[in-house]
Amino acid sequence: MRIRVDLKKNNLVSVAAKLVTNTQPTVGVFTTDTQLVIRVWDATLAQLTGIDEQTATGQALTALLPDLEKRGLLKRFQRTLNDGVVEVLATAFHRYLIPCAPATPSKHFDKMQQLVTIAPLRDGDTIAGVLVTVEDVTERLEHERELSKRLAEGDEATRLTAAETISDDASYDTTPLLDALSDESWKVRRAAIKGVSQRAAPEAIAALVSSVVENHHNPSLLNSALQVLTSSEVDTLSPLLELLESPDPDLRMQAALALGEKSDARAVDGLLKALQADDPNVRYHAIEALGKLKAADAVNALAEIVESKDFFVAFAALEALSKIGDARVAPRMMPLLEDELLREPAINLLGQLGDDSAVGPLTALLNTPASHADLIADALAALCDRYEELYGEGAYISDLTSHEVSPTGIQNLLDALETPGRNNLRSIALVLGWLKRPGVDRALTRLMGRDDLRDEIIEALVRHGSGTVELLIPQLRSEDLGVRRSAVVALGRLRDSRATHALIDTLAEKSLTLDVANALGQIGDPQALDGLLKLVGDEDASVRQAAVNALNSLAVSSMSERIIPLLNDPDPNVRESAAKIAGYFGYPESAGALIELSGDENERVRSAVIEHLPFVEDERVLDVLFRALKEETANVRAAAARALGNMDGSEVVQRLIEGLSDEDVWVRYFCARALGRLRSGASVEALKRVVEQEKFNHVRIAALDSLGQIGGKGVADVIGALVRDDDPDVARAAQVALGKSAGTTDHTN
Amino acid sequence: MLSRSQNLSVPEGTTALIRSLINERTGMSFDNGKSDLLIDKLSPLVIERGFSSYLDYYYLLKYDASAPVEWQNVMNALSVQETYFWREVDQIRGLVQTLVPQWHAKNPGATLRIWSAACATGEEPLTIAMALNEAGWFERTSIEILASDASSTAIQRAKAGIYRERAFRNLPPQLRDRYFESDDSGSRVRRDIHSRIKWSIANLMDETQVASLAAVDFIFCRNVFIYFSESAIGRVVRSFARFIRSPGYLFVGAAESLLRLTTDFNLIEVDDAFVYVKRERVI
Repeated sequence: MRIRVDLKKNNLVSVAAKLVTNTQPTVGVFTTDTQLVIRVWDATLAQLTGIDEQTATGQALTALLPDLEKRGLLKRFQRTLNDGVVEVLATAFHRYLIPCAPATPSKHFDKMQQLVTIAPLRDGDTIAGVLVTVEDVTERLEHERELSKRLAEGDEATRLTAAETISDDASYDTTPLLDALSDESWKVRRAAIKGVSQRAAPEAIAALVSSVVENHHNPSLLNSALQVLTSSEVDTLSPLLELLESPDPDLRMQAALALGEKSDARAVDGLLKALQADDPNVRYHAIEALGKLKAADAVNALAEIVESKDFFVAFAALEALSKIGDARVAPRMMPLLEDELLREPAINLLGQLGDDSAVGPLTALLNTPASHADLIADALAALCDRYEELYGEGAYISDLTSHEVSPTGIQNLLDALETPGRNNLRSIALVLGWLKRPGVDRALTRLMGRDDLRDEIIEALVRHGSGTVELLIPQLRSEDLGVRRSAVVALGRLRDSRATHALIDTLAEKSLTLDVANALGQIGDPQALDGLLKLVGDEDASVRQAAVNALNSLAVSSMSERIIPLLNDPDPNVRESAAKIAGYFGYPESAGALIELSGDENERVRSAVIEHLPFVEDERVLDVLFRALKEETANVRAAAARALGNMDGSEVVQRLIEGLSDEDVWVRYFCARALGRLRSGASVEALKRVVEQEKFNHVRIAALDSLGQIGGKGVADVIGALVRDDDPDVARAAQVALGKSAGTTDHTN
Repeated sequence: MLSRSQNLSVPEGTTALIRSLINERTGMSFDNGKSDLLIDKLSPLVIERGFSSYLDYYYLLKYDASAPVEWQNVMNALSVQETYFWREVDQIRGLVQTLVPQWHAKNPGATLRIWSAACATGEEPLTIAMALNEAGWFERTSIEILASDASSTAIQRAKAGIYRERAFRNLPPQLRDRYFESDDSGSRVRRDIHSRIKWSIANLMDETQVASLAAVDFIFCRNVFIYFSESAIGRVVRSFARFIRSPGYLFVGAAESLLRLTTDFNLIEVDDAFVYVKRERVI
């Protein structure tokens, strides 16, 4: 016969764990058959109770413990035998099962206090008896009593230590903490709240609710108790809903408050009923709670409250409607723009929930002297953002606004912009950007020095179009660097060649050179050629790169005549930039000079040449690149690898595969990347080897990425194995590669 | 003839990777719409390395053998070196007029140690040195002032001890006259004050570097946490708490509160300034 103990209950598991781990055992065990005749009586139990094994074994439990039935305990054993349930005899009620003296003398107890668990012993599907664990908890209860005493009588520090001890140790009963919820010290109350809310038993919650009812005029206790009720893991919804029905309006108000914090939608019906309460405080807190719960069912009732214009609750109802976020309510709120008291929250709500139909009423209000321009700008900006996000049609709101706003409205916005202490200028600047009217752009340029508004002002000015160019050019001479920088950026965005000369004049200012070069590139005016060419030898690599990018965007027929001679300039920075430009345009007449420059004494010049040779039509290019990949310095070899990714042919693939064994990690990295661009199935095996054997993870990642681009059957297994790699970069790259390979044509053949 | 773009590419997700790596290694936070700023500030470094993609640069910072050197370039590119003499001077008054006398009374004959943990170009430790000198403390006790910053260029400038006009916006004129001499390059701090400070480069996120500097009585770490993420602040403050002497005092900027982030320090008021003091542990 194989007996199985039912260990479903956690406490039995923990008892079993103690059986195994305790060095000084305090848990004894006995078993019985179905007739409750004792079959096993272990040595610990014998030691704890003083009843030896021989005496106990073979005796009926009722004989050994004659008062078992009288104490109401027999039926607990029978329930386990009949129903298979685990029974726990809580010490707080039953004290003990087997009467005996405490193991050591006790101040509070004349009998050993026992925690008893009765579990079914199973033989297959039938119950063959019970297994009973008896734990000596006398010492712990003794300590618990001491802690309770200290909690009730000690000074603040003592009470706090006691409360924290009970809170932190799950084996202590939390009942003493209930009284501590009204302790005069907030620290003690905080510890008590923590303990009760983390592991309060349902009966403790019930006691707490009663305590709230009886003591709700004690603010300390009430606050603590409500915190427990709202943060407890035990289900406190029912007691709170009961409180919501209490005849005492104070209690109903507190219950509504707590229900709002519970995030439990089952509270909505009760709270809706509370909206009918006579007491305005109850209604107020019920409204707030419905907002916090985002109760869609409450929208109609809340809208009615707003429409009642009862000042005390209408504000709260508007706020709740905003939180709920049901857009259907917005049209009902538009008339509130006429209401002096509710106007501001109504504007906010329309910004959050309204649609294009709200633009008319909002701008109509903006066009009046009592405009609330800043709030309306916020609302219009929010509307625009939402339309852009949802439909990609933010411009619809801005156009509507522009059409509706009168000169008075514009003046209101400009006045708001100048009013000290305003902190939502961002929206005002944005809306002004929509309004292409005389005077607006001039007002916007006055704000260009504001760090916090720079992006919005530039955006607004750009929206105003080329008409602002004449206003912006003088700003290039402003004393404020921030203003000058904003003007440069805005002029670049406007792409108007009238600004070219003024921008070139600004090129000499070091702190703006980069921005000006970028702006000239955006404008693309051939007249910028000479100014930009002066930057190609700049000592700052970023400036040189910006100048190169800008020159590449100029449509100048004589460009090659200006650039090719620079390939022989004594300054390596100039040669490097010239090589990049010549390579970008791929001038056939520069091919010879570029190939010659691939042997330049300066490594950066050689790198630039090598990297750009693929864009030059010349039969010598491939050989130069192959030689560079094999014989050059590490940086130039890496450039060659990048360049070969832009070439075609099986030999290119082969050379790049060889490059995967280069001694330099970055050459290997760029060879792996280049092979991905070429998507040749011939490189799959080599890339797989890199994934499996390469020491540096970024090279493995490059190979993974390339395998993903090549795709095919043999690739998925290698990639898939790395989806859970320890290095998050590798794992992420594997996931991306897997996605790519699924979407690619099989290139492995 | 394939791609001709020479602009730097930022492959999808790369900004977040870089932002997270920078936060992990430097503590600096570029969340909340500051990603573009981060990308802008790093662009010269990406170009300088010859890369065309920020992803390549991310891998360089994360995996390459030369990463430690490159991180110094990153610190130099990202660090904010805008500060000035006599900034938030109430705390320094509290130090000189109240805390140092208290310390001296308890530790006669010992060496007072002060660390300016994010000293930028040196204005803060020099302010402390000037204030201590004004009160005559250098004659009365042995004082060691350590100053560090994560940016090597900032420390180079601090070591040079030459300052431009903006650094003096808050310094009383008589102190400027007493402690600075003007020449063609700018205003040079008096050698005897400058030489009292030991300069070094240290990343506050590296506990081994913090350990070598934080065994002091007073740490000044002001106007740096405003650039840090909360988790990074927590990490730095924990390492301060671990190594600072007892009772150790931590000065942070007026706009920086640690109350939500640490239980290792208590906030106290000293004269007109707020200071954190290391909480004593009861074992």
